[in-house]
Amino acid sequence: MQIFARITSPATQSLTTYRPTPSTISFTVSTRPVPRTLPARLLFYLSILVRIILGILALALLWAKWRITFPIEGDISKGVRAELTTWVLGSSAGQAATRISTRLQWRLLIPGALGVLWGVCRRGYTEESLLVLSGLGIQTSTSSPTYLSTATTRFIPTTSIQDIFIHEAFKGFEVRFYLAIVVQGEEDVVVVFPNLLPRRRILEEVWRGARACLHELQPKSKF
Amino acid sequence: MHSFSIVTLGIFIAGYTTARWDLVTRLYELAIFAWDHGVVTRAAKGFVILSIFFFLFILPIERIAAQETFLHPRTAGAEEHYVDMVMNNGLMRIFWPSDAPTGPHPGVMVGWRNSELDVFVVAVLQGVELRNVENALRVGTLYRHSPHPISHIFERCGHTSLQVLGSVNPQSPPERFNPALLVTYTNASSRFPRLYCPYDSNMTVQVILFDRPHPTRMQYLSLSPISLALGDKLENVGKWDPAFEGIEVEEAEERERKKKLVEKLRLHTVVMHPPSQKELSLPKIIDQVNCSFEIDAVIQKNVGLIGTRLRRALSVSERVVESANDLWDYVLLGLWYIGTVWVYPVIAKLFVLGLIAHRVAGEMILRVLDWRISPDAAALKDVSATAQQVDIRLQQFCYWPIQYLTLRKRKGNWESITNSHPEYIRFYNSLWLVANDVIIGIALGSYIIENSVFVASQVDKIFNTWSIEGLRRMISWLMEWPGGLKLNTELAEFLGDLFLWVIDHWAGCMATLRPFLPGIIHFIGFSSFAGATMPISLFSDLVSLLTLHIYSFYIASARIFNWQLTIIISLFHLFRGKKRNVLRNRIDSCDYDLDQLLLGTILFTLLFFLLPTVCVFYLTFASARMAIISLKAALDTMLACLNHFPLFALMLRIKDSRRLPGGIRFDLQDTRSARLPEQSHSAPTSYIILKSIPLPLRAMFNEYFELGNRLRKHYLSPGVFLCLVTGRFVPPIHRKNLYSLQYSMLPARRAGIFELWTKLTEQGPGPTGGASTMNGYGGMTGKKANNGLPRRGHVGHTKNWGVRGKDGFLGIQT
Repeated sequence: MQIFARITSPATQSLTTYRPTPSTISFTVSTRPVPRTLPARLLFYLSILVRIILGILALALLWAKWRITFPIEGDISKGVRAELTTWVLGSSAGQAATRISTRLQWRLLIPGALGVLWGVCRRGYTEESLLVLSGLGIQTSTSSPTYLSTATTRFIPTTSIQDIFIHEAFKGFEVRFYLAIVVQGEEDVVVVFPNLLPRRRILEEVWRGARACLHELQPKSKF
Repeated sequence: MHSFSIVTLGIFIAGYTTARWDLVTRLYELAIFAWDHGVVTRAAKGFVILSIFFFLFILPIERIAAQETFLHPRTAGAEEHYVDMVMNNGLMRIFWPSDAPTGPHPGVMVGWRNSELDVFVVAVLQGVELRNVENALRVGTLYRHSPHPISHIFERCGHTSLQVLGSVNPQSPPERFNPALLVTYTNASSRFPRLYCPYDSNMTVQVILFDRPHPTRMQYLSLSPISLALGDKLENVGKWDPAFEGIEVEEAEERERKKKLVEKLRLHTVVMHPPSQKELSLPKIIDQVNCSFEIDAVIQKNVGLIGTRLRRALSVSERVVESANDLWDYVLLGLWYIGTVWVYPVIAKLFVLGLIAHRVAGEMILRVLDWRISPDAAALKDVSATAQQVDIRLQQFCYWPIQYLTLRKRKGNWESITNSHPEYIRFYNSLWLVANDVIIGIALGSYIIENSVFVASQVDKIFNTWSIEGLRRMISWLMEWPGGLKLNTELAEFLGDLFLWVIDHWAGCMATLRPFLPGIIHFIGFSSFAGATMPISLFSDLVSLLTLHIYSFYIASARIFNWQLTIIISLFHLFRGKKRNVLRNRIDSCDYDLDQLLLGTILFTLLFFLLPTVCVFYLTFASARMAIISLKAALDTMLACLNHFPLFALMLRIKDSRRLPGGIRFDLQDTRSARLPEQSHSAPTSYIILKSIPLPLRAMFNEYFELGNRLRKHYLSPGVFLCLVTGRFVPPIHRKNLYSLQYSMLPARRAGIFELWTKLTEQGPGPTGGASTMNGYGGMTGKKANNGLPRRGHVGHTKNWGVRGKDGFLGIQT
């Protein structure tokens, strides 16, 4: 029952604040679990290892099937490519791969391998951040769902920032708070942390920090 | 002092006293008189009293004032006050190029000072003295050999001249932090410089590292994403389309509502911050980043000239030697001169004339294609896909010379000043697409021509089986209780016979056309040498022509169905004892007479039982019509892909994504993990990297998404379904709406013939003839004469001497 509850409950979000100078703050909200205990850390490294092995296995199966279906024509014994092929397929792992791939059909192998590769490349967590650079502007960023692409960022210069506020909105059947930036000359507000939509406590902290840092020359204004 | 002058002075004094002895005696008497009357003692007393007063009062007061000034510095004058305010919450911002030298060698920072605490480093000069660099910047030695006037690029950067910002790795450490003359230390282990800024100066520092975009590779930074479409078209979608207007009105209302919300948000903003100088200068800084590569190149080329004396003018003998050396160059120059003056202009003139002739012919065809009987009527290009395709191609041909001239103008100035990168991408994209189109077209055309008989027979067979035989069989099936559905036999036979009769007539027409079909196919094959889009659009038109009977059947059956439906609805009101009030637009109760009610009910029953028969016929033709529309939509999509696919942009994205900027991003470096310079006893510093974001794919295919959106809005709206169900005519989407995608890379108004003529003729002798001469000549003299003066046009021998003389003059002056 507890395990079930752990799976179904939303991932815990943690806020990391990095503030090298009073004029530069970066807030990062992440669902990435930080391994603290030794078993957790071991499990973490093990999962990385399993991912790499699975990815290599999927690629190797695809390649073995390809080589079996279309063997290298012409001088088989010459050529580095042919030698490499015979060497790899001759090894015990290669023989196992060959056996599996001959048994599997193309129509099973291709979707299966693609599915495994997709699963291997999944990031598994979301990380969204807000970088406030006084005198320059605000940058929001959202991590990509896979390891293959980079995070999407959006930079908003200070001159075009009209306001930053926290508001609440309906999302499905719940009411969530969100931090929004009003950009001058745009119809829609920019929602910070659009996917995670963290709790109000985190949002307030981020809001205070961002307001205090963004406008450098008015440190004593009332907010 | 020299002994000789001492003797002279002595002789002079002795001579003077003997000559004016009475003056000396009178002075002696005055001294005796003063001593007798106590003047000396009184003066001594006064001196003593004043000294006591000074030591007792003035000195302590001065000490107290100094102490107070030290403790409360704000009280001391306006200028001091300002500096202090900046110090307390000052933010020092440095933009640093990533390719600056990182070694421990001393150097001088040169760049822009955008505001007091906001500097932009353009170059780090090594092995030179700071004072010499300042001098060289003032005199302009560093700007020599610049390919274009240096003031243009300075104007772009928003300053009149470069400034010395400070020194790198100085020999002696500085005493205190001075924002006007910064001191940085570089280290080979880190790309970031360390700014000398002690902790007690209460400053915070931002060091922003940027990669210089390479202007000759057309890389640049931009705050907003590059736009691949030409944005000069008005948003007047739906102007020609009655079915579209409702959606447009809704959208306008939504936009209005949002605008009001935004206005409300603006009113709710509590604290309005006036933008500071540092914030406002961001666009300027982006320009400076873009220009920094070329400025750095010019300066680094001239570093060797700093501190050395400039060359004097050449003497006569040296000139003779140099001209003798130049003799072979002059022979080449003469040949070049003949080529450029006699041969090239003739060819260029002929080419320009050919272009103009082509433009005139194109203009005539374009006028024909765009001709309308009345302003509201459809032009030829709105009706036919082929006409549209020809129109697009001709407009592209008309636009190319203008685009090319715009791109040529780029060469006449600094690479980083130009705004024509999107124009460049558009130009080569359209060239590449046309080339691709022609290549695919040649392949397709040769296939069609070689197998014209086979293709013609296939086309004939397909059209016969689907649009004539198939339809005939379908109608015959409908006439005899289709699927066990008992239709009204008489009405079904009547309608079926009517349609069959028309189909027979149409089949006869087709039979007379059949012998010409191989010829038509042959023609289509030949047309495809002008690009694969031509056969596709011709085929699209052929489909609409050959299925004209289905279109007319659809209209006729839709009309009948619609009439019947409206009659049934009004008779149903009568059946209920109600009536539609047209004046008030509502349903009123009404007292009908018995005969009215009886007749109405009988008619209602009759029509109601006849409805399925009509409905079946209507459904058949409506679905046939929809199938044809989808076929044409598929063909149009192919056309859109061939005409507009952002192939060049896609290739650029893969090859060099910095040429397609989609904005900027800042990466904050983590000082705890990254290899950054140590910062003990230094002001808190953040290290940031400025990067360019490549244009996302979504933005590249933005036009396609818009087209898809438009199609979805038009065909999947509830209004269209209502039209289909009630048998009202579904208006096809207007070609103009559909094809705004294809015109998005063309200007809304094409340049006229005279405009093109003037542009071509004024540019003709300029960059075409003159630029090549300039380049040829510039390369030759560049290695000998060090004149930084801009050369334009043909520079003759005498002029050359004059320029050299001027150079010498400049040298003497400095």
